[in-house]
Parts: sequence; structure tokens; C-alpha cells
Amino acid sequence: MPDTAPMSASDLPRGIGRSILLCVPMALFTLLLFTPVIQQPGRPAKLAALVTWVFMIALFFLMMRTRETYRWRRVFFIALGFLFPVGFIWDLIALRSSMSIPLERMLSGDTPFCFMVIPMTLVPAALTKTIIFPGSILPTPSNPHSIAMMVALWLLATVILGKAWCSYGCFFGGLDEGFSSIARKARLRKINPRWRLAPWAILVAIVLLSAATFEPTYCMWLCPFKAVTEFPQVRSTQTAIQFGVFIALFLGLVVVLPFLTKRRTQCAFFCPFGAFQSIFSRTSIFEVRIDKEKCGSGCLLCQNNCPTMAIDQESIRAGKTLTSCMRCGACIDVCRKDAAVWHIKGTPVGLKPERARLLFLYAGWLFATMFGGSIIAHSLERLIGLVM
Amino acid sequence: MEKSFYLSVISVTSVVDRFFAGNQEHAMKRLTTILGYTVAVLTIVVAVVGPMFWFGFFSRAAAKTSLRINPTYTGGEPARTIARDAYQIVIYKPVPKRAPLSATGSFVQIVWKPASALPATVSEPLDLDGDGRPDCEVSFQAPRDPKVKLLVSVKPLNHLVKPMNAVSKDSFASLIARVNDTIVVRVPLR
Repeated sequence: MPDTAPMSASDLPRGIGRSILLCVPMALFTLLLFTPVIQQPGRPAKLAALVTWVFMIALFFLMMRTRETYRWRRVFFIALGFLFPVGFIWDLIALRSSMSIPLERMLSGDTPFCFMVIPMTLVPAALTKTIIFPGSILPTPSNPHSIAMMVALWLLATVILGKAWCSYGCFFGGLDEGFSSIARKARLRKINPRWRLAPWAILVAIVLLSAATFEPTYCMWLCPFKAVTEFPQVRSTQTAIQFGVFIALFLGLVVVLPFLTKRRTQCAFFCPFGAFQSIFSRTSIFEVRIDKEKCGSGCLLCQNNCPTMAIDQESIRAGKTLTSCMRCGACIDVCRKDAAVWHIKGTPVGLKPERARLLFLYAGWLFATMFGGSIIAHSLERLIGLVM
Repeated sequence: MEKSFYLSVISVTSVVDRFFAGNQEHAMKRLTTILGYTVAVLTIVVAVVGPMFWFGFFSRAAAKTSLRINPTYTGGEPARTIARDAYQIVIYKPVPKRAPLSATGSFVQIVWKPASALPATVSEPLDLDGDGRPDCEVSFQAPRDPKVKLLVSVKPLNHLVKPMNAVSKDSFASLIARVNDTIVVRVPLR
């Protein structure tokens, strides 16, 4: 999304030697992570793991070299968003020849758990000590994506990334980021800022409805990504309507509106999990701040380039981003005056922002490689298997 | 002993004094800066070490809690088992309607296993509440081919059970389904 060239001295490229040196810890640790996959039997698995590792380290190198975050993170995130459904659907077709979840698999607790369900399970779990999802608490051979594993992953991501989960961890967000990156200019520019409240309204509604019905309402009726993952088997008028809603929401919020607005519309104006994660926005030590002394001119490049409308004039005056900020780095990369900066809480704003960025990226990219990288490798393995 | 204690207290306080020497506000900024960087580094440590231990630890902790999958999906807990010559019938405890707006009413789950040992037609009166008297008569065809659609009928023998007529998978409270090598029937309750 940033549409201007970097201007300030601190945006000059870092030397190749220094960039490589900064990549070494990341390369070594992630190689350790990928070694078990590389050692797996079968050439597609080895090759997929190797390609993914090189891809992730190459992007990290480019982040170090160019000092830009958004552009390279976006490449990873779009790859994750588009490859996740490939691997997921592939496995579904191999397992049951269909993307739909038969009722039988729900009864046997074989539905993979998705992090989106977490907010909906809280009230029923507190009231009845039961989880309103047809999965399994612990991993089983037929369902490794258990509730415990996904909740553990989410907690870890929340500690490391906070709200940056939406830019470095979520395996759905890359889809609308991808479609928002196609057009050169936004065809739909005026968006009422009140739409930013919609995810909160949806979050409250689904939490209350889930408590009243003991059903994961969002997954049953509203999740656009059901269209590219799995959905209840169409066996009645109700399930046919649900399927129609999934398709319509996917096309509207994930394909058409991001293309027209150049914003991540699903993430910014609909996703209740994004709103839920905003609650933990403050738990992360890393944040984006605006140095009011350096800003001043009111160019609003940061506001205009934010993919989720997480900056407005009031927040610029306050020197902060809104709680919906996903730490994607678009505002920082586009700022000509280095006024938008990475920041570590507790430190003075503008104190060695590049150091803050490096510390954030080491934590964030490690998580991204571990989680998103493994998803990319899994999907690539399936695709490479096609041609080998 | 007492002297060494006082000496250590004095040395600690002198370090603190030196830290806060001069402008107190400046010292606080320095302290929060150090804390900020410490937490940032710890976050990286969590990202490196966390995945190695966290998932196993969390799974073990989750296993120890009393959290379970909602009985709407699992069918609840088995109450008793009736043995037939070649197969068994497991009757589960009734699952009540728990939420005010839930589309799934109360039901009892009954499981026939193994499905491969069932006769071509199953039709038998069953005592669901364990009072020794049959509450309903459940009948269905049990074809060997797992792809054949199953249909179940339930004839109530008292006011406890709702009737079902050639039902397949209407809802979580009234259904028949083949799950692995079992046949699961859910009978809706009044």
C-alpha cells in the first residue's frame, strides 16, 4: 500500500554484510525448526520445507536490507492466505472427498478447531464447563487440530504479537490483503469511520448469541472463510442458506470490497476475532507510535495508507494508533519524516526506532516462520507432489 | 550475621540512590526504558523457547481440567449397556436443552455397535430412563453398504419420547448416523 519512496537518511539501505549478519540468528533458529521436516522421507516434503525456509529468510533479509517491513511482510502474508486453503482443501478432499463437514464427523469430534471460535466458547465454558464446538479437547490421530493446541497457539501468539497476530499469524487475513493489493488506486475512497465499530458490534452479538444458543454462531452463519475451508454439509434449507451466506460474504468482504477500497475490509470492518484480539493489543510490548514533534505537516500519508483505518487525525494528535492497529508497518514505511515509528513501551518515543523494529521482527518473524511457515510448507508439499 | 545483613542493605540502598541521583523523572525514564527492553528481549526468548514446551504443558493442563465437549455433539455420557448376541446397545444419559434459544432440544443418544454385526432390520423396544419399562420402539434398516442413507423411526410408548418417522439427520436431537463401525440414533425427548 505505501505509494511513495522512502526519503529520510535512516531509510537508506543497510549494507549487505550487516543485513546478512542480522539474518544469521533468524536463519539458524528457523533452520532448526525446519530440520525435522527437511529430514522427512519424500522429496516433496524436503523440497517444500527448504523452499519455505529460503523464502522466509529471503524476506527477512530484504526487511533488514531495505529497512522496510510492510512490503515484505505482505508477500509472506499473502502467500500464507492463499496457500492455507490449498493445503486445507487438499487434505479435506483426500480425507472425505468433499469440503463439507458431514454430521458424522461432528459427532466423532473430528472438526478441526479454528481460533475464530475462541471468543464464542468463553461464556458457555464458564457456565457449563463445556466447549460448544464439535472438535476434541486433545489432539487425536483423526483430528490433530484440537482445541487445546489452538488455544495454546493463540495464547503464545498473544504474548508474542498481541494484535500483530492479524498481520503475522492469521491464516485468513492474507486473502483480503491479497485482493486489496491488486488495484493500483482505490476506486472507493470514502469510508465512514464508524464502520470501524462494526467488528465490536459483531463480537458482542456473536458472544451473546452463542451464550443464548450454545452454538458457535459466527461459524454457523457468518464466517466468510467457510467458503474456502469447510462448511456444514448442505442437507436442508437452513444449511443451503448458510452456504449462500458464506459465499456472499467471502465475495463481498474478501474479494470485491478489498479490491475497490484497497483496505483489508474483512479484517477492519467485520472480523470479530480481530476486535477480540484488540483487547490484547495492549499486552504486547511493541507498538506503533507517532512522534508529534517530527510530524506536524499533516500530510496524512499514514492515515491514507493504513489498510485497516487504524490511524485518524485525532490519533495522530495523540501520537498513537488506534487499538485496531495490526502492526503491519505500512504507516511507518510510508512516512517521509520518520514520525511514525516502531516503539517499545516504556522507552521514549523515537528512541532508536530501528532497534525497536528489530526486536519486534525477531519475535514476530520467528512466530510467523514457525506457524505460518509450516502452513506454507504443508501446502507447497501438496503442490510439489503434483508435479514430482 | 546481623552486621553483614546491615552492610548488604546499605550497599543495595546506595546502588538505588546512585540510580535515582539527579533528576528523579530522568531516573524513572531510565528505569522504564530498561524494563521495556528487558520485556522486549524476554518476548524473543518466549518466541524461541515457547513452542518447545508450551504446547505439551498446555495440553497436559487442559487434560486435567473438567472441561469437556458439549454433549450436544458428543451425546453425553453412557448410562448402561444392553448386550445382544452379536452386538451391544449403549444407552446414554438424557441430554437436556441447556440454552434458552438453542435449536437443539433434549434427547437421548443410543449407539448400536458394531454396526457390521447388526441384522438387516433392527426394531426393538428400549427402556431409556432405566425404570424397567420400555419407553419407545426404535426401528431402522442397517445395510452393509455405508453409503446407503439411513432412516430411523421411533414409536413412543409413553409421554417421554417424541415420535420420529423416517428421519435421517434432521438436527442434533433427532438423527441416525453411521459413525465409524457404530450406528448412532438420537431420540428427541418431550
